[in-house]
Amino acid sequence: MKKQYFILLILAGLLTLLPACRNNRKFRTLIITGQGDHDWQASSPALKEILNQTGMFSARIIVTPEKGEDISDFNPDFTRYRLVVLDYNGDSWSEETKTAFIEYVRNGGGVVVYGEAGNAFPGWKEYNYMIGLGGGEARDENNGPYVYFRRNEMVIDTSAGTAGSHGERYEFEIRTRITDHPITSGLPVRWLHGSDILSNRLRGPAIKMDILATAFANPKYGGSGRDEPVLMTISYEKGRIFHTTLGYPYEDSGPAMQCPGFISTFRRGAEWAVTGNVTQPVPRDFPSAAAVVIRDDFREISISEAMENLADYNMSKSTKYFTTLQSYIRQAGGDEKTLLKYEKMMVKVLVNDETTVEAKKLLLRELSWMGSDYCISAIEDLAENNELKDEAEFALERLKAE
Amino acid sequence: MTKKSTRRAFVKRSATAVAGAVVLPQIIPSSVFGMGGKLPPSDRIVIGAIGTGSQGSSNMRDFLRLKDQVQFVAVCDVDSLHLERAADMVNKANSNSDCRTYNDYREFLEKEKLDAVSIALPDHWHGIIYSEAANTKMHIYGEKPICRTIEDGKIIVKAVKNNDIIWQTGSWQRSQPNFHRGAELVINGRIGKINYIEVGLPDGNKGIGTPPIQDVPPELEWDMWLGPALKVPYRGVSHWDWRWILDYSGGQLTDWAGHHIDIANWGAGLEHTGPVEISGEGVYPVEGIYDVPVEYDFRCKYANDIEMRVANASRLINGMGTTWYGELGWIHTNRGNRLIASDSEILQEVIGENEIHLYKSENHWQNFIDCIRSGNQTIAPVDVAYRAISVALLGEIAMTTGETIKWDPEKEEIIGNPRAARLLSRPYRKPWTLPNV
Repeated sequence: MKKQYFILLILAGLLTLLPACRNNRKFRTLIITGQGDHDWQASSPALKEILNQTGMFSARIIVTPEKGEDISDFNPDFTRYRLVVLDYNGDSWSEETKTAFIEYVRNGGGVVVYGEAGNAFPGWKEYNYMIGLGGGEARDENNGPYVYFRRNEMVIDTSAGTAGSHGERYEFEIRTRITDHPITSGLPVRWLHGSDILSNRLRGPAIKMDILATAFANPKYGGSGRDEPVLMTISYEKGRIFHTTLGYPYEDSGPAMQCPGFISTFRRGAEWAVTGNVTQPVPRDFPSAAAVVIRDDFREISISEAMENLADYNMSKSTKYFTTLQSYIRQAGGDEKTLLKYEKMMVKVLVNDETTVEAKKLLLRELSWMGSDYCISAIEDLAENNELKDEAEFALERLKAE
Repeated sequence: MTKKSTRRAFVKRSATAVAGAVVLPQIIPSSVFGMGGKLPPSDRIVIGAIGTGSQGSSNMRDFLRLKDQVQFVAVCDVDSLHLERAADMVNKANSNSDCRTYNDYREFLEKEKLDAVSIALPDHWHGIIYSEAANTKMHIYGEKPICRTIEDGKIIVKAVKNNDIIWQTGSWQRSQPNFHRGAELVINGRIGKINYIEVGLPDGNKGIGTPPIQDVPPELEWDMWLGPALKVPYRGVSHWDWRWILDYSGGQLTDWAGHHIDIANWGAGLEHTGPVEISGEGVYPVEGIYDVPVEYDFRCKYANDIEMRVANASRLINGMGTTWYGELGWIHTNRGNRLIASDSEILQEVIGENEIHLYKSENHWQNFIDCIRSGNQTIAPVDVAYRAISVALLGEIAMTTGETIKWDPEKEEIIGNPRAARLLSRPYRKPWTLPNV
């Protein structure tokens, strides 16, 4: 009896451990690159870093032979991966590789089609189904219609013509078209993307495809004047494909890849392609329609990093450290413990002599409503300071009102 | 004071005579009136303006169109270029050069004994100047939103009430036929009991980054422009664009609450109450000096089970405007004389004699003048304006705190959340304070 009980306990323990083990298992990811008109030497390591930073993916890069070289030996074992990221536009793969890839997707493998890969393999029928829409001059009406938006309606345009064009690099606004898809759920409806090259005039079979977001290709910058698809999802048998036209690399990675809008949709799209769900929260620095946001190393600013940088805050340089703090506070949703933790961090920055006056003023405004008794004495000290008197009094009036 | 009371009494007395004259124009020689058939100057409503920027001068033009009934005599602005332009406008209309000008509203309020004043200022100034103007007993045409905070709003309502003045809010959509008709159909149950309302207000503005600190233009009195708001260096943002900075405004949300939320309240009979629970979220700019939410989406529950969703237009199927959803259908109304319904026959319905007939005005500025003469309530009274902006301000608090806010619309208090309750007011920079009312 006792022994049975013991075994049950062990079993129960193992059962509780199971989900933890599963969480620790990262999605094995293969990034295929090696050919393309873009700087794939820059983009593919950036994509790898973007995915691996999440702790959710374990990505490696495979580089194909160079253009024109013998590609027949290029034959990765797709079955070993949960996700394949295509950062490739070049020579056709061998029939054997193509078949293996189709099998992989058909059986439920996840795919992310990134940038130039949307221009690849114009003559490969199954690939065209997988990407939904594609560019490149080799595509035309035989590949399918142009698909875009006009006045908030999707347009399926069967007119003849080659696919794929682009204007200059510029900062463009992205419009979320489907707000209840796991990838776009909770995102702003409109957001400004870091300077990028927008793919225009995509065409393709567009079967089992959803356009999640579009961007207006401004004729002022050589664009088509259409609202062009930028984020798409496609179902191909059991497989899920996420297609993003965003993030054209520029000098290492550049503003298009450093935009939290690109980074976040790429990560979310990758997770969805693997599981059909998205568990990653919308990052606090996701851009709005008001302004472009740039991350230096693809990483979201942590609360402690925001605090550290607030000390030498200079709003002419960037306001992101303060707005990030505000965002953390909002996200705390009134949780006393979390707010007190932030308050203590804020007071530490506030009493630091090295901290800029500009930063102290902002902290006092914020503490005025979210602070507790903890911050009061520190603020009272600052009320003696001529430069901070108004803000300190502002804060104290609110804090002492109860 | 005595002098002013006399003058006001005279205006009211003469109203009867004017009405008579209108009915029987053929037997009253036009020579009795002033030049060109206008009322004699002594019978016109004497009016001045505080704040003569874009909205202020627009209101002035609307009043000047009623020139046979209104006499502009004084203007006030902290920007001397605005002031000059406004005085020119008045002098041209009066064919003289007598318009009095002030940089400081305090001097204006002390010296000018007028019938009425038209006020259009950045929101952070509303609390003080509306209340002080009400204390002089001048009638007020005041721009929406009537307050930057709920506490300011309470004081303004009290000031208007205690001084027994006529107040018209610049919620001019009420004087447009489509909004009136839509609200009247709804309040008379033509789409059944209302259970859900959607209000679409404009999406936020694109930012400008953080412009450098620069010299204040010589025409602008920057410290006075800031007034009760915290002192900040001048970065070229003042007129018009103040609405993208939280110190002065809540953005498009608060800027437009006095329009489409006000209309929503009008139709749903929520004009004299407020929500009991508010929750939602905003999208805030990460970079730049502009810090108002550029997207917003919150829901308000009312005690009578109505739910109101307020969001930036891009999030809603109907976009901008007000849509009431009832048990029997829906009605949507927006600018551009737009009025549509789930069934077009609803729009043909006749409102019977014994049903509710909502206040009718065909000209918002005329309605104000008429009410000064008659002593009647205007179409957009102050307490109703306060209820409209309260919805937006409570939404702002819910978004700022990330919390679900409980509100007591009778006591006008946030329940059980002292932290959120601090956001009901905004301390004033010394020496500015709200007046006793």
